[in-house]
Amino acid sequence: MTDYVDAGQAVRLTSLSAVKGSAPQVTENVNYERILEAGSEPHNWLTYYGTYDGQRYSTLDQINKENVRRLTPAWVFQAGATGMHSGASTYSFEASPLVVDGVMYVSGPEGKVWAIDATTGEELWRFKYPSPYDVSLCCGNVNRGVAVGHGKVYLCTLNAHLIALDATNGEIVFDVVNGDVRAGESGTVAPLLVKDMVIIGSSGGEFGVRGHLDAFDAQTGERRWRCYMIPKPGEPGSETWPADGEAWQRGGGNCWVTPTYDPEQELLFQGTGNPAPDFDGGVREGDNLYTDSVVAVDVNTGEIRWHYQFTPHDLWDYDSTMENLLFDAPDGRKLLAHADKNGYFFVLDRTNGELVRVFPFVDRITWGEITPDGKVTPKVYPDKEGEPVHFWPGPAGGKEWTHMSYSPQTGLIYVPVQEVGATATRRRREFKESIPYWGAGVAVDLEDFYGYVAAIDPLTGEEKWRWRNEYPMCASTLATAGGLVFQGTPTGDFVALDAETGEKLWSFQCGSGHHSSPTPYSVDGRQYIAVPTGWGGWVEGFFPGFLGANAGDALFVFALPED
Amino acid sequence: MTTTSNERSEQLDEAGLAVQNRLALGRQLGTGNIGHAEEDSDGRMRATIRIPEDELVWDPAIIILPHGGELELTLINDDKNTHCAVLPTIGDHLIIWLVNHSKGTATLNLPGPGTYWYGSTTGNDEGRGLTGAIVIGGEVPAEAKLDRPAQPRP
Repeated sequence: MTDYVDAGQAVRLTSLSAVKGSAPQVTENVNYERILEAGSEPHNWLTYYGTYDGQRYSTLDQINKENVRRLTPAWVFQAGATGMHSGASTYSFEASPLVVDGVMYVSGPEGKVWAIDATTGEELWRFKYPSPYDVSLCCGNVNRGVAVGHGKVYLCTLNAHLIALDATNGEIVFDVVNGDVRAGESGTVAPLLVKDMVIIGSSGGEFGVRGHLDAFDAQTGERRWRCYMIPKPGEPGSETWPADGEAWQRGGGNCWVTPTYDPEQELLFQGTGNPAPDFDGGVREGDNLYTDSVVAVDVNTGEIRWHYQFTPHDLWDYDSTMENLLFDAPDGRKLLAHADKNGYFFVLDRTNGELVRVFPFVDRITWGEITPDGKVTPKVYPDKEGEPVHFWPGPAGGKEWTHMSYSPQTGLIYVPVQEVGATATRRRREFKESIPYWGAGVAVDLEDFYGYVAAIDPLTGEEKWRWRNEYPMCASTLATAGGLVFQGTPTGDFVALDAETGEKLWSFQCGSGHHSSPTPYSVDGRQYIAVPTGWGGWVEGFFPGFLGANAGDALFVFALPED
Repeated sequence: MTTTSNERSEQLDEAGLAVQNRLALGRQLGTGNIGHAEEDSDGRMRATIRIPEDELVWDPAIIILPHGGELELTLINDDKNTHCAVLPTIGDHLIIWLVNHSKGTATLNLPGPGTYWYGSTTGNDEGRGLTGAIVIGGEVPAEAKLDRPAQPRP
């Protein structure tokens, strides 16, 4: 036999493509000061919510009520996949793209990050992180976005690493381990840059972990602090857990959605996830702090300043991880708005956590009742072993993690609402690391569902209008100074609504359902709206009636015609 | 019916599931041999995988690494058809084209515990059997573990 033919050395797959491999240096001067004033450069979207307050509002108004009917795709980016990966049937394109001076940075499923020319869709560079395909994931192969700044792009990975990339070429700068994959931890959250730190939270609440929020040095990756959301025995809040048990060790309270931030108080407002096991409260008597709460964390030290618990002793999987939107009342009072999975809308004083107002924002609430003064009374919950119990809202909530938005023009908050119930049957099980720890069998309703966008006045609790849809709303809203509210639907329609009336003014069929957060930006005076599409994630939880809907992973970008 | 591990191997052979085009059309995935990477004194690891003639399987198909880090992989195609290998590493997939009777190398850098896919992505090599796994053992660093007592595992 002749000698072997020399096949050489393996090369990067991206080298066999049109990917340029480099992007302009536009993020070197993106720092804390610029992100603090992100609203003053509306052509960019510098941080996850656009601004630290989580309002998801853009002052761009080139696209407006009068001309939105002419909105058309400017370009489309297709993510695609190679080989076997985790969540092969549950991946979803959930990110909110960031844009800095004409360059878009966006993450997709399966550890991918792209730098893209925001005017043409040209792929400038690509990064792919190799997460194990057997990692524990409750809710699919997803990632909600990146942070950019200090010349870097920051990403959480499915195997619970925090990585930093050189923003000009996608090369890795540092890679630190933030969680334990053998314990069921993962990373899906979009990082937040504050001061000289990167803030990230943990995922893995369905596997009985102990949730935490962490800060890392943005230059070196060195950990600055960790804040556990389940206290150890003897710590404040530990009295809300069984004194002699192991429940606190597996208590949940994960932080898988990006916090908002108040620079005056130097406080992060972190929503926390469900207690574990989700539906079996018998093994964790007590209120189970700080699960299902907003926790105000000192950004400098990681210490908890105050908290407010939305669902004490949760028995319905009512995470409160979703955003805590910051806004000020006309009298100057500093407020925080939160639409919880449990179907109630809360307005708090963000300086001390005092309840200002609570009211329902969904039509059907049967799990319990919260009075206007905040008293919580559970009514229907899994209690007896093997006995099915039906309740509304289901475990994905009246509003899932996808975000609401606030328009200072109208003073309204636009909430994506899901009207879906579920049946849970308590089934006690022992705890084992990396194995789902629910304590029940759960079937979310396959019928009798609908959804709507609710325009809510947070100062009165009044619903000013609603845009009703046949199907639940499972994607984030975006409000703009053009008098518009954008919303993606499970059927793939991307819709523009009149922010004052709720009238549908425009829609475009993207071919797969929406479960992401649209991003506005402009380049050279032309305004764009970007929206990742791709139905997937925890569909069996938030809308199993669409388990058979088409998957996808395309990023659509819309603009008005140039002529 | 119960089956032990040893019996399973025999049953796969008897049923014709560990070869091409006997019971099924291709070979059942995950039925190839298991190999361990060798570790140098500096922690770098080395392994060799081969494609035997007409078997459409990597040998070994499952490569076990004691920990994350750098793996120098030698790939040999002893088949009389052309294949390729797409491999995981931090930053991007790697690809190497493997014509008949060829030999090449790949340097992989992998992060930690878990199972990583690799395969030949030409035609339907992946479905016929040329799908492999790199399995990394060990634990995450102590500083990344949860502050709690050791917990039971399955």
